[in-house]
Amino acid sequence: MDTINNDFTNNVIDTASLPKFEEAVLTTLHPDYKKIMYFNVGIVYLILAIAIGAVCYFNEQVHPYIVPAVIVYVLLLIITIVFVNLSFKNRGYAFRAHDVIYKNGVLATTTTIIPYNRVQHVALHEGILSRKFGLAAIEVFTAGGDSSDVKIAGIEKEQAESIKQLLVGKILKQSTPNEE
Amino acid sequence: MKSDFSKPQRQSLVGVVVMFADTLRGVIKGLWPLLIVWIFRLKDYDKFSVIAGAVAIIVLVAVIAYLKYLNFTFFLDEKNQEFVIRHGILNKSRLAIPLDKIQQVNINQSLIQRIINVHALEVDTAGSSKKEVSIRAINHDLALLLKERLLENEYETNDDFTSEEGEVKVKTRSTEKEHPFIQISLLTLFKTGITSNYTRSFALLFAFVITTYQYIEDFIEAAGYEEDTLDSYFDPELLLRFITFIIVGILFLTLFINLGRTIIRYFDFKITRKQNSLLLSHGLLSTKSTIIRPEKVQLLVIGRNFFQKKLGIQDIRISQAFNQSTNKKQLQSAIEIPGCDDNERDTLLKFLLNKIPEKGVALKPSIRKLIFMIIKSLVIPIGVFFFISYLSPEMRDYIIFLPIYIIFVGLIVFFSFRNYRLFVNNDFIIKKGGAWDVDTQILAPHKIQGISLTQYFWHKSSDIGIVTLHTAGGNLVFGLTNYTKLKELTNYWLYQVETTDKNWM
Repeated sequence: MDTINNDFTNNVIDTASLPKFEEAVLTTLHPDYKKIMYFNVGIVYLILAIAIGAVCYFNEQVHPYIVPAVIVYVLLLIITIVFVNLSFKNRGYAFRAHDVIYKNGVLATTTTIIPYNRVQHVALHEGILSRKFGLAAIEVFTAGGDSSDVKIAGIEKEQAESIKQLLVGKILKQSTPNEE
Repeated sequence: MKSDFSKPQRQSLVGVVVMFADTLRGVIKGLWPLLIVWIFRLKDYDKFSVIAGAVAIIVLVAVIAYLKYLNFTFFLDEKNQEFVIRHGILNKSRLAIPLDKIQQVNINQSLIQRIINVHALEVDTAGSSKKEVSIRAINHDLALLLKERLLENEYETNDDFTSEEGEVKVKTRSTEKEHPFIQISLLTLFKTGITSNYTRSFALLFAFVITTYQYIEDFIEAAGYEEDTLDSYFDPELLLRFITFIIVGILFLTLFINLGRTIIRYFDFKITRKQNSLLLSHGLLSTKSTIIRPEKVQLLVIGRNFFQKKLGIQDIRISQAFNQSTNKKQLQSAIEIPGCDDNERDTLLKFLLNKIPEKGVALKPSIRKLIFMIIKSLVIPIGVFFFISYLSPEMRDYIIFLPIYIIFVGLIVFFSFRNYRLFVNNDFIIKKGGAWDVDTQILAPHKIQGISLTQYFWHKSSDIGIVTLHTAGGNLVFGLTNYTKLKELTNYWLYQVETTDKNWM
């Protein structure tokens, strides 16, 4: 791997002066991605509403429970919308010189950091809806299994492409000395 | 004893027997619903046609087995550096594996193979190969030779790698051909057998006893007795004796099962050093052999409990890098070396990790972890118990078990909190944890694939969090602990990973 210096030095590392990942400025997702998130929530709740409606229509016995059901439905919808908002707000990513940082989560905030020299491959996803908005998702795979893979959605298509190129370039640069 | 692998060759002729067994098993597996129907209606057919049918099937299977044997050939293509297998009776297929893609070659032996004295050779490749290549019947010398040839390539690259690292010592040693390393005696296996896996076996037996008890109760009920009669049958003294008998029985059975399992699985456990790798072989009924290569080792776990500590033995579990497609299966089957003494442990660690890991600065868990554990395993279950006994008064009889539960779980919580530590130094990350079985996870920083830091929003004010170190052989999780310190460590680990020239695999 090419990250080492050929002139060998062995100074004491001052851990306090190391670059700090927590100081990296995280880029937030594209505002249009929030619309996609709302749309997805909308679809789920629409299907739910149709199902409830159908039950009510065909089964007369449940009629007394319609009012509580509607209240629960509305409450759930409100909670979900709050969560979507928080989830959108809490997501952020940064591509540093040697690693990628991704932060997400509502109740628990998780920051995952993957060094480029451990990336196995990169995938670019485009959903139907995200294509309409010109957005794409980048997925970074490592050998660490599902739990360490990172999927960053809601990046502008062009930017995503260039990020992918950057990552692929980094991987190639890492692996060529190995291959030989 | 140079054998020529460059020409296509068949398996050992006796291998037809293995083929026969395999095919027969396949037929039975495929046709079992039909077979069951036949067996039940056996009376309806006359004897002659039954025997004729059975003979026909066996002859057919034998012919297929023989054809399979005839059509299965393998050879080593020196020019293209490929291992080629041809098989198939009607649909012929040719499978070529580039030698540098071969990750592991295992030589195993099942019961049938043991009887006719042949071995199976399995080739494990990198990438998304679900269908493993396996030669079902090959004699031992040939298998070893073929294995060596298949892995020659690997060893060359390994030597390059180690010489790059300047590990001259390892290289000079690797020129020695074979080197008996560690041998686990029957006595050690005996010690391991009676001291390990208490929890698992106990849970198993407990489940078994409960189902039997319920079954008996159902049976008595179904037989038309009154519900109370079961209780009135036993006078208290008899009941007490019965319970003691069952508990003692469970304890003995647990010991016995563990002992049997350990000995069957790990009988004649041998570790030999072959060039730069370790070759493990063990098993009473079927021999299993595995190769461990130091660069492939991701996570190492040393497990020992109180008894094992007193006896001076410990288990070592090794997770190697796994393919993404098969990670779950591989994770469970971490390689286990039972009953190493301290010397053997140190030799192994030195070989696998280049040096004996020392514990660095200790990181203690936050007191909130203790509180959380107490709430999770004491407050909530007790609360549920009181709630249930409030609803149904019969449950109140069980209140005598409550102090036992509190003492038992309290001790577990206390010890697992006291043992929970993360030691970090330049070369190793060591996590210790567990109440009875104390596990020590050892991880070299350059094996890290990614780092996750997790913090629940109610943890923010007290500055605590959880760290997960992802490796290709599983995760190492530590928390709750000081978040600022974790961030500092994360930066340090990232620095180590990003500046290292060491191969993680």
